[in-house]
Amino acid sequence: MKLDQASLFEEISKLLAAHSNTGITIVPETRIGADLEIDSVEIFDIVMELEDLYDISFPIEQASNIDTVRDLVATIRQLANV
Amino acid sequence: MFDSDLKKKDIFSKFDKLAERFQAVKAAGKTPFGMVFEDILSPTRALVGGREVILAGTNNYLGLTYSEEVKTAAKNAIDQHGSATTGSRLANGTFSEHVLLEEDLKAYFGAQSAIVYTTGYQANLAAISALVGRGDHLLIDADSHACIYDGCRLSDAETIRFRHNSPEDLAKRLARLPEEGARLVVVEGLYSMLGDVAPIDEFVAVAREHGALLYVDEAHSVGCYGERGRGIAQAQGVLDQVDFLSGTFSKSFASIGGFCVSRHVEFEYTRITARPYLFTASGSPSNMAAARAALKQIETGVDLGKILWTRAHQLHAGLIAAGFMPASGPGPIIAIPRPDEMTAVREWNQLMEAGIYVNLAVPPATPHAKSLLRLSVSAAHSEDEINQILAAFRKLNS
Repeated sequence: MKLDQASLFEEISKLLAAHSNTGITIVPETRIGADLEIDSVEIFDIVMELEDLYDISFPIEQASNIDTVRDLVATIRQLANV
Repeated sequence: MFDSDLKKKDIFSKFDKLAERFQAVKAAGKTPFGMVFEDILSPTRALVGGREVILAGTNNYLGLTYSEEVKTAAKNAIDQHGSATTGSRLANGTFSEHVLLEEDLKAYFGAQSAIVYTTGYQANLAAISALVGRGDHLLIDADSHACIYDGCRLSDAETIRFRHNSPEDLAKRLARLPEEGARLVVVEGLYSMLGDVAPIDEFVAVAREHGALLYVDEAHSVGCYGERGRGIAQAQGVLDQVDFLSGTFSKSFASIGGFCVSRHVEFEYTRITARPYLFTASGSPSNMAAARAALKQIETGVDLGKILWTRAHQLHAGLIAAGFMPASGPGPIIAIPRPDEMTAVREWNQLMEAGIYVNLAVPPATPHAKSLLRLSVSAAHSEDEINQILAAFRKLNS
């Protein structure tokens, strides 16, 4: 599993796109709630998928502080000790 | 415009989308989220808009709200102890009724400790937030009730969700955790929206294997499952292995309030640390007395559970015969998933027109963004009332 920033961004973008109906192009500054219209309940489901994908524990309290895709990538790297 | 108006606008703008959705529901007929019952005639009948309706969504599983014993106990408690406690359990708000109820609950569940709270919501909020703290881990079922999520938020522990009713998924997530910190697994016995039952016996085994304690919320199942109504953990033969068991008095117990019992006597310490227990007024003496009287009936009275299950099977089978597929097997909660929110709203209104009140449940209160017509069965429902509910459902499909 590649955990460098670019690979993570690519993989996470794919995952988020599958949960969003907006069809917008995802960039690091894309806001997960406001731009991708993914609600807080769905974010929690995405967190479970990310835990399995990267074999990490991702407390939901940390998900509440995430705004953009860049924030999410940084959090995954931190939780995976990269 | 004054400055204060501008600020007001900012504060309330986050409700704009919600208001739009609420208006759409309102435009479809009656407002399901602001239902006023002008008079309650019995556990299964009420007046709405001047018309009598059959109640099929009140969680009054044993129908004890009109039991003579329960009503008399509540009235006597008001006469003897007044209408309210006006204080916290830790100050002036512990009356003999609270202590007696806790003793009854200890005996009923075979527990070492029992604590009574002002509401069921506060029971989970208080117990969960007091049991774990910074550096500890909470593992909660993904479909947990809001009070479990809020209890997690109030603690400083880290919360990990696992897939609904999956002991395997729980085991996987427990295995990923660091060694440090306490682990508390939180599940429900009977899930309030879809009416599905948890494999508590399997969760007990997984929790033990991974050094975690198990907390089971049996708000909807106590009174309905197990010997003498002691719940799903008891029915599955593992009540003595559950570390903490919480519940409410606002369903089968025909009152209001909540409780948590434990096989660990140390649970008593949470009385001096749980904020939702400390910083609120205690339950009124009449509510405590009503819950005690209901508990006595559940334990020793006529077998209300048997009647409840007969009605539950009748309703479940009848709904399937009418072309509706319940989300779970027969039980006190029967949820019918609908294709979308507006279909559910339209059908809810049609049922009201036919004189049947059920719950309308829509996201985000429901799992997997489902829109549901949710029914709860009562031992007080007559066979004829169940037939009338079924006739109204058949009409929806005609």
